Amino acid sequence: MSDADNREEIIQYVPFISFVHPSFWHTLTEIKLNIDKLNETSKPIYGRFTYRDDIGAVFEVDGTSFNKVPETEHLYTSVKGTIINKNTVEEFKSIDKAALLNSVGKTIWENLKEGTWIDKPSSLLNFFIFSFADLKKFHYFYWFAFPAPSQPTVYLTRKGSCITSAFTNKQLEDLAQSYKALDDEQKCFFSIIKENDTIQVQTLAQFLRQTECHLAINAVYFVFQDPSNGVNPGWALRVFLAALLDYCPTLIGCNINVIGLRCNIFGGVENSCIFSVKIPVDVTKSDAAGWVGWERNDKGNFGPKLANMSASLDPVVLADTSSDLNIKLMKWRLVPDIDIEVMKKTKCLLLGAGTLGCQVARDLLAWGFRHITFLDNGKVSYSNPTRQVLYTHEDCLNGGKKKAEAAADNLRRILPSVVTKGIVAHIPMPGHPVGESLREETLRNIKIITEAIEEHDVIFLLLDSREARWLPTALGASYKKIVINAALGFDSYVVMRHGAADGSSTAGSAYTNAKWISGGDLGCYFCNDVTVPGNSLQDRTLDQQCTVTRPGLAAIAGALAVEILVAILQHPQRELAPAPYNLSDEGESIPGLEGVLGPVPHAIRGFLHSYQTMLPTCPKFNQCVACSVIILNNYMAEGSEFLLKVFNSGKYLDDLTGLSQWRLNAEMTEVLTLTDDDEETSDI
Amino acid sequence: MNSAIELEEFLHAAQEFVKKSDEIGDGWSIKECGDDKSKTFLKKDLYVEHTDDNNSILLKMEYIIFYNLSYGVPAFSFNIWNSSGTLLSLEDVRKMSFIQISQKDFYSVITQQEHPVFQRPYFIVHPCHTEELLATFKNKSQNIIVTFLGLITPLVKLDLPLKYGL
Ligand SMILES: [Zn+2]
Repeated sequence: MSDADNREEIIQYVPFISFVHPSFWHTLTEIKLNIDKLNETSKPIYGRFTYRDDIGAVFEVDGTSFNKVPETEHLYTSVKGTIINKNTVEEFKSIDKAALLNSVGKTIWENLKEGTWIDKPSSLLNFFIFSFADLKKFHYFYWFAFPAPSQPTVYLTRKGSCITSAFTNKQLEDLAQSYKALDDEQKCFFSIIKENDTIQVQTLAQFLRQTECHLAINAVYFVFQDPSNGVNPGWALRVFLAALLDYCPTLIGCNINVIGLRCNIFGGVENSCIFSVKIPVDVTKSDAAGWVGWERNDKGNFGPKLANMSASLDPVVLADTSSDLNIKLMKWRLVPDIDIEVMKKTKCLLLGAGTLGCQVARDLLAWGFRHITFLDNGKVSYSNPTRQVLYTHEDCLNGGKKKAEAAADNLRRILPSVVTKGIVAHIPMPGHPVGESLREETLRNIKIITEAIEEHDVIFLLLDSREARWLPTALGASYKKIVINAALGFDSYVVMRHGAADGSSTAGSAYTNAKWISGGDLGCYFCNDVTVPGNSLQDRTLDQQCTVTRPGLAAIAGALAVEILVAILQHPQRELAPAPYNLSDEGESIPGLEGVLGPVPHAIRGFLHSYQTMLPTCPKFNQCVACSVIILNNYMAEGSEFLLKVFNSGKYLDDLTGLSQWRLNAEMTEVLTLTDDDEETSDI
Repeated sequence: MNSAIELEEFLHAAQEFVKKSDEIGDGWSIKECGDDKSKTFLKKDLYVEHTDDNNSILLKMEYIIFYNLSYGVPAFSFNIWNSSGTLLSLEDVRKMSFIQISQKDFYSVITQQEHPVFQRPYFIVHPCHTEELLATFKNKSQNIIVTFLGLITPLVKLDLPLKYGL
């Protein structure tokens, strides 16, 4: 047996490779959160390995590992084990890993000494998982161990050879049949007696306790289900040999035959492997030996592994991807050219967190926007929650929360992954003089508002007074932002986009007979008022206090404001998208009118009493008090000082723009003193 | 056109399919989920070794065929994960070419969703067109699961042995 080719080598066992099914973490998390909570006691679990000849030495756990009865799978063997889950990362780190393995080993060895394993060989197999579950991040640190005594050290007298070299086909068939007939717990380790042409499968109990010892040792084969499918035997053999030597010291000094049982998918055993194991005379006993079996991690070191399961377990991530799916489905089913990313990236600033602000925020969320900032100075009052859809009764208690902050908090409760914040600031207004006492505060507010506008891509004007729209209109134009404006009357509304700041400035006359206006030449909220004199009467009904509007109006106008924004973002020319004068004869003669979601109107005016909608389109007015070049130039030159002049006197704007017929201040006074009698009549 | 497949028909076809799979060693098994028959599913899993840039990793793929109640058709889903149980992303799946469709169509055919049977994320192949496609094959009277898999296998790297009687 010992020629040069068959040199003795220390046996190398193929270690198990742990393989965790995602459902294992799902179940562990459920148990930890709902049953165990802070309890750290170890739990019995099941794992399994396969001795299929086409799969390596994987050791699997899954969601059913925690069941009382293990799920069985064809050609897999269930192994009883334990999970020890720690509550803190410190405890996980600080525990003495060698001592832990030795103490587990000691228990195993004590049981083994009682000899019950001979009747129930499956009890030799063992594993445990040492883990720490970070359930805030859904990170799981874990370390598998497959305990086995480090001794005895035995030798292979030659490389493993295929079973067909020693067994006939007939014998292999008999082996497969007899093996199938064994009880499950006898299948892991058993024996074969091979005499002449016949083979006889015996359980270990039959062989070790009953069989007469007249047999030559080379007629006996010790069989184990072999997790390995390579040239070396799998790890399961290690503890088997230790137990065998402990029970039968007579084997010391012998060469024994071992079969690593490896099955094909039909149960055939012809790929099994025979190992010739030499047990040296001076072999070290297992009793005093240390225990080994910690698994190496992906870097090849003895250390824990990490499962980052946040993408499949974190409800915040799941909510985010699921709501994305709504928009993706729209793309896949109906609008293949829609750009989903642009919504995710676009940062929206909502000036006003009242009826309109709440509504706009919800619709933005639904469209996949993930950056939404509220700016408002008010507090939530008892009258708000019924109309302002982000607030609840709790927000009104104890004097009321700040609206901007409550809106952001509540938006986060709807979708935790949204990036949102509330800014508490008052928007200074033209014709509202700033005395010395208010100067500092006004400058601070200007700074906050300016910075907020600079930080965002889109500014929504959702305020309840016209004067408050002046500053953000001028700043929006100065900082070249997309500005969307929505205003409510009692039963009418207007939703519009302001002209893009980068457009041409051929405003006015060039468009007298045109069919459309470039997005760069569209008027702002204030252009409108004066370019269409006599229309001012219509506008009187806008910018009512929200409580005197028909309740459905905010939902309609808010939705349209968001839809206009999305239409702009999905248009190849974005904010420069042309607006037709008459959408109904849209088409052939207007170049680039259609965006991915259709043409983008300049403004939408709706009248609830007649359920009618108009789409007025107006060019920029070059004497506009808010968006004209002269205003922007003055702001650029003087900054806050210019703004303070405007706040101190509405007439300053008239003088500056040469707009004598238009008195902002007077008109604002008129709006503010509006009475019921002045409300719209049938002329709109 | 109502060419939906009754649950009973699905279950029967599934049983027959697994019998055939056992005969040819294809690895499909049938599983039940509680008492709800409509949650009965077919499962096949296998290990795949993926190699790129000299790195080799062992991955596990799981294929699930379940019954889509709202469409009344079989539906196909799958997951791929590494040894820690972390799922591969759809982008990974595409890059590793476990699935063979053009990048343009890829994301419109497959989405990661909460699985109706397992309540965990799975990649699910959209059932929108399954019904019509199956209808065109229905009269051929072969096992409906085999027909269905015949529609899926051009997309998914999945062997469908001829022994199924394709
Ligand atoms: Zn203007």
